[in-house]
Amino acid sequence: MRRVGLITTNILSRIAVGYAIAGLALVLPILTLADLGEADKGEEIYFQHCAGCHGEEGDGLGPGAERLLPPPRDFTSGMFKIMTTAFDEYVPRDEDLFKMVSDGMPGTSMPGWSDLLSDQDMWNVLSYLKIFSGYDEEEPGPELAYGEQIPSSAISIGKGKELYLEDDRCTECHGLEGKGDAKKRLLGDNSERTWPRNLTKPWNFLGGNDPREIFARISTGIPGTQMPSFADEASTKKLSIEERWHVANYVKSLEKTVEVVDPQNTVVKAVLVEGDVAETTDDPRWQESQPSTFFLVPQIIAEERQFTPSYDTITVRAMYSEEYIAVLLTWDDRTKSIPGDATAEKISEEGLAEDGVAIQFPVTIPDSMEKPYFGMGDVANPVNIWHWKSGTTDLPETVSLMNAKGFAEIILRESPDVHATGTYLNGTWRVLFKRKIATENPGEDIQFSEGVFIPVVFAAWDGSAAENGSRHTMTTWYWLLLESSSVWEPILAGLIAMLLVIAVEFWWLRNIKRKQLAD
Amino acid sequence: MRKIPRLFQMIGIILLIYFSFIVLFDYLLDQVIPSSLLRMYMFFIIAGVVAVFTFTEGSTEELLAPIMEMMENPEKRKVRNAVLTVMPILVGAYLYSQMVPSVEAPVELRSIHPAPPSSVKLFGKRYNLQTLVNPLRKYEKDDPEKFRELVREGARVYIENCHICHGDKLDGQGLYAVRLNPTPLNFRDVGTIAQLQESYLFWRISTGGPGLPDEAAPWISSMPVWQDFLTEEEIWQVILFLYDYTGHRPRTWEE
Repeated sequence: MRRVGLITTNILSRIAVGYAIAGLALVLPILTLADLGEADKGEEIYFQHCAGCHGEEGDGLGPGAERLLPPPRDFTSGMFKIMTTAFDEYVPRDEDLFKMVSDGMPGTSMPGWSDLLSDQDMWNVLSYLKIFSGYDEEEPGPELAYGEQIPSSAISIGKGKELYLEDDRCTECHGLEGKGDAKKRLLGDNSERTWPRNLTKPWNFLGGNDPREIFARISTGIPGTQMPSFADEASTKKLSIEERWHVANYVKSLEKTVEVVDPQNTVVKAVLVEGDVAETTDDPRWQESQPSTFFLVPQIIAEERQFTPSYDTITVRAMYSEEYIAVLLTWDDRTKSIPGDATAEKISEEGLAEDGVAIQFPVTIPDSMEKPYFGMGDVANPVNIWHWKSGTTDLPETVSLMNAKGFAEIILRESPDVHATGTYLNGTWRVLFKRKIATENPGEDIQFSEGVFIPVVFAAWDGSAAENGSRHTMTTWYWLLLESSSVWEPILAGLIAMLLVIAVEFWWLRNIKRKQLAD
Repeated sequence: MRKIPRLFQMIGIILLIYFSFIVLFDYLLDQVIPSSLLRMYMFFIIAGVVAVFTFTEGSTEELLAPIMEMMENPEKRKVRNAVLTVMPILVGAYLYSQMVPSVEAPVELRSIHPAPPSSVKLFGKRYNLQTLVNPLRKYEKDDPEKFRELVREGARVYIENCHICHGDKLDGQGLYAVRLNPTPLNFRDVGTIAQLQESYLFWRISTGGPGLPDEAAPWISSMPVWQDFLTEEEIWQVILFLYDYTGHRPRTWEE
């Protein structure tokens, strides 16, 4: 029921944002925006709500900044990422700034403030923060030219795809399938690491994912990053207005709805297959298997901690046979991190490590609500951890089996009977784990059984983001269910019950008849 | 007025109680009642109601009269045959639905604000939570300037450590909030810190998820053990900040 509450607040906040936008639309034609705010009133609000991250000097160096990626905007730089101005204009339009404050930026820790601050408060704070870049004394640039919007269609998407691929125009950074698997290392204006957007996850687009918003990013670029303007006359990759609409429509079409997290779905359902389970990550039977996608969170409980992860979700599929269980894990990763590999070293952060993924089960499936602590178990409740690593140029991929009773007590098991193999293609890792349903060490290994809800945790390491050891992303407890194969039992039980009731009814009727005859 | 047959009276009473439970829990208290609990309640209620309605032999006879009438009166043959056909189907279908394995995750209920232990070991010292007070709270009256400074320090601690889950606005909607289950607490809500004493917050922040008692399911809470990362003073400061920013007042013993 807590989840219900969460959804309600989400809806409420959406309604609030909706009203804010509607309110803005009403106000816009009447007033000149620059006159709306009062900087001295905005100062107080800025210090109460904004300075923690953006800094008292507006330089983006507040105490919160260190653990954020992307980092908070440095207002003194005069660069604003999300703009709808014409090419080569640096002063953002007031509407652009207002939208950032009011709606926030998806996928970053910048929240929308419209539920806490009034429109007037937000205009006041904008008037104040413009002073940091000197934009309080400059005129905003003119709005970019949208031309006539081309509605999305198969033809438009097809044209957009051609333009996307042509001369490596977009693929250089966003990858062949739009996963953001760049061929080069990208930096922001304060030489911080930036990652190209994964276009298959539009809910993470900083400036929104409406085709019109995508068109604006393509046209104006994203100042302060290496995303250029494709309206730049001097660029060899320049696109006309019409072409930009086609690309926007194509980008919008890349969304992978299959892998959207459904908070109601907390169970990985393994189906029983005839014969053997899948041995490879591209076995066609995986296509029929129902995927469950979970959020990954950075591990901030035990040192070394990870505050700036690059992974956000992991998708899980499973199947089992009489003898084996197979689990397929897939997740988007912009980089194939192979230590020793020249390309991987070039793209990586300092300290390139192997990519990796792990599955954790309790050694004993609990029969009550109590489970091992989700972070590697606890003294009373040990866990099994299956850990796959992608390998280096010298070493092949590896899989290890650990038994843990918390972070401090980890035993590496010899000759693990867990098998794993991984493949990487166009920004996606696919890793398959396989183990016997039952092993010879019931005291040390989980024994899988049908129809039981088995707690499971997933963890993943992006070696190019210097994730290694305890620096990784993970989930809390979810469930794995080996779907029961006995379809006949319930049907049989139902039929027997029915026949019994009918027998009783006949007996009763007969008794009544006899009694009536006797009378 | 025509008297309602006792059989229908009994069924009516049972249904009324059943729906009262649902209205009370699901709608008035906003706490969906777990089906296993509801089944247990209803078992005793049905047993009780049936016992009352069959207290004497006469009353039992009266109760069963409509059934006997249906079964024995040849004029009611059509109704009887219909009932006798539907009954076995219902029973069979119910048993089938009970035996088909569920693919819905088990419902797990946890206490969000469990009762604190009376004494607890924090920072290597033993504290009595009944008497523990925020040592910095006194400056609110004695030295308002110093108090503002302490709140600012608390804001720093919060923005460095807490906001990625609990949110910049302290609304429990931080960057990673939607990715967690259970979700981080919303401090603005009147049902969280506004209901608690500062010593309770000190205990919860210091020992985090692993310090929860079993009824609060410590094994799924993502709250770190902050005594490993923060000083005692920092925790008391961040508590000042939580109340200051949200405008709530901590509960005290004087109330």
